[in-house]
Amino acid sequence: MIIETKNLNLFYRKFQALNNINLGIKANRITGVIGPSGCGKSTLLRVFNRMNDTIEGIHITGSVTIDGEDIFAPLVDLTMLRKNVGMVFQRPNTFPLSIFENVAYGPRLWSITNRATLADIVERSLRAVNLFEEVKDRLKKPALSVSLEKQQRLCIARLLAVEPEILLMDEPCSALDPIATSRIEGLMLELKKRYTIVIVTHNMQQAARIADEVGFMLLGELIEFGRTDKMFMNPSDERTFNYISGRFG
Amino acid sequence: MDSHFDEELKKVKRDILQMAAMVEDSITKSLEAIKKRDISMSKAVQEIDREVDKMEMGIEETCIGLIARHQPVGSDLRFLIGVIKMNNDLERMGDHAVNIATSAAYLIDQPRMRPIVIWSMARNVKEMLRESVESFMTNDAVRAQKVCEHDSVVDEMRDETIRVLLTHMLEEPDKITSAISYIMVAKNLERIADLTTNICEDVIYIAQARVIKHHAEEGGKKE
Repeated sequence: MIIETKNLNLFYRKFQALNNINLGIKANRITGVIGPSGCGKSTLLRVFNRMNDTIEGIHITGSVTIDGEDIFAPLVDLTMLRKNVGMVFQRPNTFPLSIFENVAYGPRLWSITNRATLADIVERSLRAVNLFEEVKDRLKKPALSVSLEKQQRLCIARLLAVEPEILLMDEPCSALDPIATSRIEGLMLELKKRYTIVIVTHNMQQAARIADEVGFMLLGELIEFGRTDKMFMNPSDERTFNYISGRFG
Repeated sequence: MDSHFDEELKKVKRDILQMAAMVEDSITKSLEAIKKRDISMSKAVQEIDREVDKMEMGIEETCIGLIARHQPVGSDLRFLIGVIKMNNDLERMGDHAVNIATSAAYLIDQPRMRPIVIWSMARNVKEMLRESVESFMTNDAVRAQKVCEHDSVVDEMRDETIRVLLTHMLEEPDKITSAISYIMVAKNLERIADLTTNICEDVIYIAQARVIKHHAEEGGKKE
């Protein structure tokens, strides 16, 4: 398991958002997390790179390990953790910089300043998201001038530029039309050969299409977790069936 | 309150039950045509078959439409997949009834033979069909499993029928063509029994998500 949680509980002051989550995520797989709004799926995702830490009143018990290392251990380098575990958001959070500078931003933070090295990283990262050929002649143009789908791919390229191991995706296609969604899904299937992907999605069919394993969450609990085909053909828990069949939620 | 989708699933179930009743009627009439030497019953089977064919197409279209529009999952998906297969099996049973009715049209003009086992076999096959449909109605995998196990009894009856008819053929060569027709009837009945076991396999799949055909659970293929 590349990510493992044991008895994970998360409280926002007195409100318990995650309740005794025990989960094992395998490497080079796409793991989907589904559930109704407010069930804690985005909160769980943000635990994996400690993005919840900045929220006031947060309290976490239990353990989360990545590659066997406790991510809440006192000496954990948060910058290194977030380099290793990148996140893609619902809407592309493109920086108001050029396409080149968006991708080069991370490596620059890691003190890579050599122009040729940066150009090589930018090209490699843009190629990994199938964007290089489309933007190679306008790398100096503002990143905000390209379509939302390309911006989302650019944001993924920006993550890849710092060579992460895990990609967390929080509703990465919710702002995209079906064709753009299909392209991003195709990209995710390619990326899983090299990266571990955890995706939170409201779109059940998206989880069914691309995830190898799926977890269903409800009211902060992980109700069911397992192979996607099993989950969609024969869920073990009635609450899972009611949710995925649209009978509630 | 049931959703629109639930209502549509219930309607599919009702349609399958209606089709199963028509197929059973068709099998009964095809056998009665032989017993009572009644050509009108043989013709009635042909007419029922045309209706069964229409129903099969209608049910299939409905199921495909429901899958496309509602993207069902879990037991809903298994139900619709099972119904599509069951629908096809029932239609093929109807075709076997037509084959029996065709044999009946020939046998009506021939001297009588008395292959008693064939009528016992017919009773067993019809009971298997009724039980398979009941197990579908009640989503009862245990009941469906029992029907599958009964198939070997029908196979033995077919073998017995053929053995008796072969004896007739040796003793009375003038009845060879009639005996061959009866063998065809036995063969068609045995195929109907096989198709009822298919339905029961679908019922078990719908109810428990278990695939039992070809001994899949044992990791092997049926001989």
